[in-house]
Amino acid sequence: MPLLEIKGLTQRFGGLQALSNFSFHLEERELVGLIGPNGAGKTTVFNIVSGFYQSTEGDIVFDGKRIGGFRPHQVTAMGMARTFQNIRLWNDMTVLDNIRLARYSWLGYGFWSAVLRTGHYRHSEKLIETKAREVLEMMDLADYAGELPKNLPYGLQRRVELARALAGNPKLLLLDEPAAGLNSADVEDLIRHIRWIHDEFKIAIWMIEHQMKVVMSLCQRLTVIDFGCIIAEGTPEDIRNNIVVIKAYLGDEAL
Amino acid sequence: MRRYTLNVVFCLAAVALVALAQAGALDKYVLTIITFIGINCIFAVSLNLVNGYMGEFSCGHAGFMCVGAYVGSLLSVAFFTNSNLFGAALFPPQWAPFLFPVVLLGASLAAALFGLIVALPSFHTRDDYLAIITIAANYIIISIVENIDAIGGPRGFSGMKKTVNAMSDVADLPWMLIWTIFGFFVCVMTIYRLMTSTYGKGISAVCQNEVAAEIMGVNTNRVKIMAFMISSGLAGLAGALYAHVYGYVNAQAFNILKSTEGLVMVYLGGMGSISGVLMAAVAFTLLVEWLRFVIPWLNEVSHAAGLLPAGYEISQIWKWVIIPLILILLMQFRPEGFLGNRELTQVFPRLKRWITFK
Amino acid sequence: MDVFLQQCVNALQWGSFYALIALGYTLVYGVLRLINFAHGDIFMVGAYIAFFVSTMFLSPEGMFGLSRETTLALTIPLTMILTSLVGVSLERIAYRPLMRKGAHRLYVVITALMCGLILENGNLALLGASRKTLPVLLEKNIHDFGGIAVTNLKLWVILAAVLVFFFLHFIVTQTRMGMAMRAVSWDRFALPLMGIPLDSVVVFTFILGSGVAGLGGMLFAMSYPVLEPYMGAMTGWKAFIAAVVGGIGDIRGAFAGGFLLAFVEIMVAAFLPSTFRDLFAFSILLLILWLRPTGIFGKPLTTKI
Repeated sequence: MPLLEIKGLTQRFGGLQALSNFSFHLEERELVGLIGPNGAGKTTVFNIVSGFYQSTEGDIVFDGKRIGGFRPHQVTAMGMARTFQNIRLWNDMTVLDNIRLARYSWLGYGFWSAVLRTGHYRHSEKLIETKAREVLEMMDLADYAGELPKNLPYGLQRRVELARALAGNPKLLLLDEPAAGLNSADVEDLIRHIRWIHDEFKIAIWMIEHQMKVVMSLCQRLTVIDFGCIIAEGTPEDIRNNIVVIKAYLGDEAL
Repeated sequence: MRRYTLNVVFCLAAVALVALAQAGALDKYVLTIITFIGINCIFAVSLNLVNGYMGEFSCGHAGFMCVGAYVGSLLSVAFFTNSNLFGAALFPPQWAPFLFPVVLLGASLAAALFGLIVALPSFHTRDDYLAIITIAANYIIISIVENIDAIGGPRGFSGMKKTVNAMSDVADLPWMLIWTIFGFFVCVMTIYRLMTSTYGKGISAVCQNEVAAEIMGVNTNRVKIMAFMISSGLAGLAGALYAHVYGYVNAQAFNILKSTEGLVMVYLGGMGSISGVLMAAVAFTLLVEWLRFVIPWLNEVSHAAGLLPAGYEISQIWKWVIIPLILILLMQFRPEGFLGNRELTQVFPRLKRWITFK
Repeated sequence: MDVFLQQCVNALQWGSFYALIALGYTLVYGVLRLINFAHGDIFMVGAYIAFFVSTMFLSPEGMFGLSRETTLALTIPLTMILTSLVGVSLERIAYRPLMRKGAHRLYVVITALMCGLILENGNLALLGASRKTLPVLLEKNIHDFGGIAVTNLKLWVILAAVLVFFFLHFIVTQTRMGMAMRAVSWDRFALPLMGIPLDSVVVFTFILGSGVAGLGGMLFAMSYPVLEPYMGAMTGWKAFIAAVVGGIGDIRGAFAGGFLLAFVEIMVAAFLPSTFRDLFAFSILLLILWLRPTGIFGKPLTTKI
C-alpha cells in the first residue's frame, strides 16, 4: 500500500479550475519531485494535502487513512510535515523554541499540568528539549539555538525551517521550493542535506522545485503539471527529453 | 540560594504589607490604593495574554471584569449573607474565609465562559474586526446587567461588605489585601508558567505566524479558545476582588473607558512582557492617584503666581487631560512600551542571578 | 404602519449622522490601516466649532450681526474647514511621528484613543460643565407626507448625507488623489513611484474625513441643539462599529453600516423598552459579523500560503 495516494483531486476557486483530476501516489522512502511552470497549481496540491484547503473533489489517503476534511494540525499529527515557499518561521522565538514547538502534537500534557508544573510536565518538557537539541545538532544548527531566526542569514533560515519540519519525526516531508532564493553554494548544501535526511531518517520526500539541478540530482521520479493537469510523469531522464514538458516551460517557439 | 532572591523578596513584601496593615500602620486610603494596584495588575496582565502574546486587539476586557464582579458578588451574598435576593445564607458566615476562594473561582469560571463569546468569532476574524466584536461584547455585557432588575440594574449591587465583615469576625485580618495578593500571585504565576511552557508558546506561535502554527500541529482554534478563556477568567478574578474591596458594583464602572485603561497599561508596558506590564500597571495607578493631589496644588500655585484668571479653577477633570498627554509623550519616546516584548531579565541579563521561577 | 414609516424617517436621519462619522473612520482606515479612535471626538469638536462660529456671526451685539441665512451659509464651510484643521493637526502632532518611528500600529491606535480623551476632557475642563445651545439657524417647517410629519431639517440632514456619499464616491473613483488613496491601501511603498507623496495623500484623507465629521457635528447640533463634551464618544464608538459592519475601508460600507445600525436602534427603541436598545443593536451586529466576518462590503480575507 502506498504511503500517500491521491485520486481525482479537483479544486476550483470560484470560476478558476486550479486542479483537475490530479492523481498521484507515493511509496514509503521515495523521493519524488513535482514541477511545472508558475501558476500550474503545485502549491495548491500541497495546500490540499496538508489540510489548508478542502478539495472540491477527490480522495486523499495518507498512511492508510482518508484525510479529506482534516485540519492541518490533524494531518501533522499523523506524520506529515511541510516547509513553505516563503519561509514561515516564528521570528520572535529562539531557534530552539521554534524546533520545540514542532513537538506540539506530541506534548502529552495540557494546560493544568503546565500551570501546576507537575512531574508529568517536567518529564515531557525534558524529552522535548532533548529531541530539539538532537535535531539542531544533526542539522548543524546547534550554535544558533539561542538566536532569533530573523537575525540569521537566509540560507540558515531555510535550514531551520527544514529542521523544524523534521523535529516532528514525519513519515512524509513536503518541501515547497526549498531552494528558492538560495545562492549556488547554499543550493549545494541543501542538496546534500536533503539527500542525507532521506538516507538517515528513511522517510519519503515530495518536493516542489524550480531549479532543475536540484530535482534532477535528487528525485527518483518526477511529476509535471501545467494548468492543473498532469502532463508528464517519469524519471528525470524521461522528463528532460519530454516534448510536452519543454513546450509547457518554453512555449511552442522553442521547438 | 541567591537565585531565589526575588521569590523571597516577594514573600517578605507580602507578609510585611499584611503585617503593616494589621498593625494599623497603613491608613485606609493607602491600603485601598495598594489593593487597587494589585487588581489593576491582574487586569492588565490577563489582557496582555490576548493583546500581547496572541497579538489580537481585544478592547472589551472590562466586560469580563464586569461578569466576574457581578457573579462574585452574587455568589458571596448568596453564600454568606442573609439577603432579600437569595434569602438566608447558604453557609454559616464563619466559613467565609475558607469558602471565599470558591467565590473567586466561580467568578473566574463565569467570566471565562463569557470569554467564549469573543473566542468563537476569532476563528475566522482577526485584527480590527475582532476589536469590534470585543467592544460589542463589552457593551452587551453591561447592557445585560443593566437590564436585570433583580441585581439592581443600573443602580448597581451591594452587600459584599457583609462577607468581608464575616471574614473579619472569624479573624481580624486585612482580608481583601490578602486575597488580592493571592489573586495577583495566581494570575502572574499562571501566565508566566503558561507562556514558558511549550504548550503556551503555541499562543505566541499563532501570533507570529498562524499558518506555520497550524502546519506544525498547533490546533489554532483550541489555542485561541484557551487564551481568551484564561484571559477573561483572570479578568473575572480581578472583578470579583474589585467588587469586594469596594463593597459595591455598578456595570458602568466596567465600560469601555475601563477597557481603555487596560489597553494603556498593556501597550505602555510592552506587548508580551509580564514585567513590563506590571510596571506599567503600578505606574499608571500611582499616576492617577498622585495627580489627585497635584492638581489642587497646581491650582494654588498658578493662582498665587497670577497665571490664571480669578474665576477659573483647575479642577480634577484636568487629570484626564494630563494623563493621556503624558501617555502620548511616553509613547513618542518609547514606541514599543517600557520593555518591548522582552522581560526585565532579558533587558538586564544580570538580574537572572537573582531570579528563578519554577 | 404610520408609526413604522415615521420611525423609518427618524432612522434615516440618525443613520445619516452615523454614516457621516463612519466615513471618516473608513477613509483613514483605508489609507493607513489605523483606527482613528479620536474621530468621534472630532465630530464633537465640529459641533462646538459650529456653535462658536454661528454665535459669533449671529449675535446682534457682536461685530457681525448677520441674518440667519447668511450665518448658516458661512458656518457650514467654516466649520468644515476648522474641523479638518483639527483632524490634520492630530495626524501631524500625534500619529505621524509615531508612525515614522515604525511603532506597532496598535500604539498609534492607543495614541488616537488618548487624543480623543484629551479632546473630550480638555473641552470639559476649559469650557466648564454648562451646556451650550446652538442658536436656531433654520426656520423649522414641518412637511406632511401622507400622515408622516417630516421637518425640513431632517430632509436636509438626509440630503446632506446622500450628497456627501456621491461626492466622496466621485473623489475616490474619479480623481487622481482618490486613485492614490486606493493605491496606498494596496501598496504603500509603490505610491511614491506614481509621483504622489504619501504624506499629501494622508493629509488629504484626514481633511476629507474630519471635514465630513465636522459637517455631521454641525447638523447634529442643529437637530439636537444641546452640546456636551462627551457627545462624540458613544456616537463615535457606534459609528466605528457601523463602519466595520459595513466593511471597513469601503465608502458604501460606511453608509450601509450607519443606516443599518440606526435602523436597528430606532426600531428597538420604538417597540421595546429603550434600555434594550444597545443590547439588541450590538447583538445583531455581532451576528452579522459572525455570518460575514469582513462586513457587508468587505473583501473576504485570504491568506496566501
